[in-house]
Amino acid sequence: MEKLSINRTACSLYELAGLIKTAVSDSFPESLWVIAEIAELKCNPKGHCYLELVEKNKDQTVAQIKATCWSYEYRRISRTFEKATGESLNPGMKIMLLASVAFHEVYGLSLNIRDIDPTYTMGEMARRKKEVIERLHKEGVIGLNRELPLPLVPQKIAVISSKTAAGYGDFFHQLDTNPYGYRFVHILFPALMQGREAEASIISSLLQISKKRRLFDIAVIIRGGGSVTDLSCFDSYELACHIARSPLPVITGIGHEKDDTVADIVAHTRMKTPTAVAEFLISGMREFEEGILEIQQRIHSCTGRILRDEGYRLDRVSQRLSFIPSQLALSAGNRLEMLSKDLESRIRDCFRNERNRQGGMEQAIRLLDPAQVLRRGYSITRHKGKILRDASLIRKGDTLRTTLSNGAITSIAKITEEDKGHEQTETAYLLPGF
Amino acid sequence: MSRQKQLTYSQASRELQQIISEIESENVDLDVLAEKVKRATYLIKFCKSRLRDTEEEVKKVLTEIEDKAEETGAGDGASDKNQQDIT
Repeated sequence: MEKLSINRTACSLYELAGLIKTAVSDSFPESLWVIAEIAELKCNPKGHCYLELVEKNKDQTVAQIKATCWSYEYRRISRTFEKATGESLNPGMKIMLLASVAFHEVYGLSLNIRDIDPTYTMGEMARRKKEVIERLHKEGVIGLNRELPLPLVPQKIAVISSKTAAGYGDFFHQLDTNPYGYRFVHILFPALMQGREAEASIISSLLQISKKRRLFDIAVIIRGGGSVTDLSCFDSYELACHIARSPLPVITGIGHEKDDTVADIVAHTRMKTPTAVAEFLISGMREFEEGILEIQQRIHSCTGRILRDEGYRLDRVSQRLSFIPSQLALSAGNRLEMLSKDLESRIRDCFRNERNRQGGMEQAIRLLDPAQVLRRGYSITRHKGKILRDASLIRKGDTLRTTLSNGAITSIAKITEEDKGHEQTETAYLLPGF
Repeated sequence: MSRQKQLTYSQASRELQQIISEIESENVDLDVLAEKVKRATYLIKFCKSRLRDTEEEVKKVLTEIEDKAEETGAGDGASDKNQQDIT
């Protein structure tokens, strides 16, 4: 044993490490592009960044290598990356990096990151987002929240936000100082709005609100503008599901200029900023009140019209009523007048008729008066005091007394033949005063 | 309990719609019209003041939130079930 070890040549660990170092640097003389997932990421106070890069195959790690990004590089790389993707470099993210491979005698193999291509990660994020959206579609949850009816008056609001989030103060200020004097009931359900724990924190607040949903009309998730990074939690499948299934309509105001996040897509209504959410709520109240005011106006004008019409009708009726007595009086008067005229003329007629009748009678009486008859030349002959009407009653020698209008004659009958009667009487005339 | 007794915006709105359609149909008896207008005025006043005065609502919400803080929301089975499905 001893002999063997003396004869064997052995290198020291340091020598070996040196050999590996040379081999590695000989094999990888140039930097090369590598695709990997960030498993861990830590920055030390000096600004150097230390990462664990992995490759997974169905959740099983098939490769793992440490990586380092020195502070002067990291500052530039992370800034460019955030600007392009809207995200800061985080565990779970897939990146394409330019790295040199190096072996250090103490720290072992590591990749020295010289650059990161953000377009790869963007594509990766977009692909993942698309997958999440497709899954939500397939599971039929994507439109669930949108199917909820918006409350008539969104007055009681459950707010998910962070007191430290930008835009939080603006939101409440705007609600509380709206120009119409509407009052909102708003209760904050605090949650982290960025970082790794944001997703779980927002979900927990959503669950709390669900339990008290009868107290609220609507839920809003707001997160102010300013920082545009760390929106990836709003693209998560879990959060999207909770938003979609919320029993209250959810309005988002996540404050970003980029494409809608998945949270925006599943929310009932998406707004760009917290301020826009406040405006939306105020306009909802305003819309309701305008509807009420419009009805008020319509009632006012309609009632006015009905009352006016009714007034006119009453006027007409009362006018007609006021005419009736005078009309009645008029017609009664007319009838009375007619009656009295009628009566008068009838009376006149009566009198006239009576007068005429009396006149006729007078005349007749006058005409019949024997004196008158005598005056016209007639005479009355009496025999033995009786008025003589039949000549045959007279015999020869009878004394006749004839009364004339003026005086009387006494005569003696000579001839009794009727046809000679006249001669006889004529003869008698010749004896006046007989 | 008192919440159910209280008039809601949608009830008020529905009733107002009905009143206006009745009034506008012009088949309203004048005596009835007076009653309807009185009711409508009350409803409008109710809505307008409730939009601006929430003190009572705030109190109610706050006390209920405090009261129910420890409860698990036994009455909210449906939503809990929904939420559990995905958690």
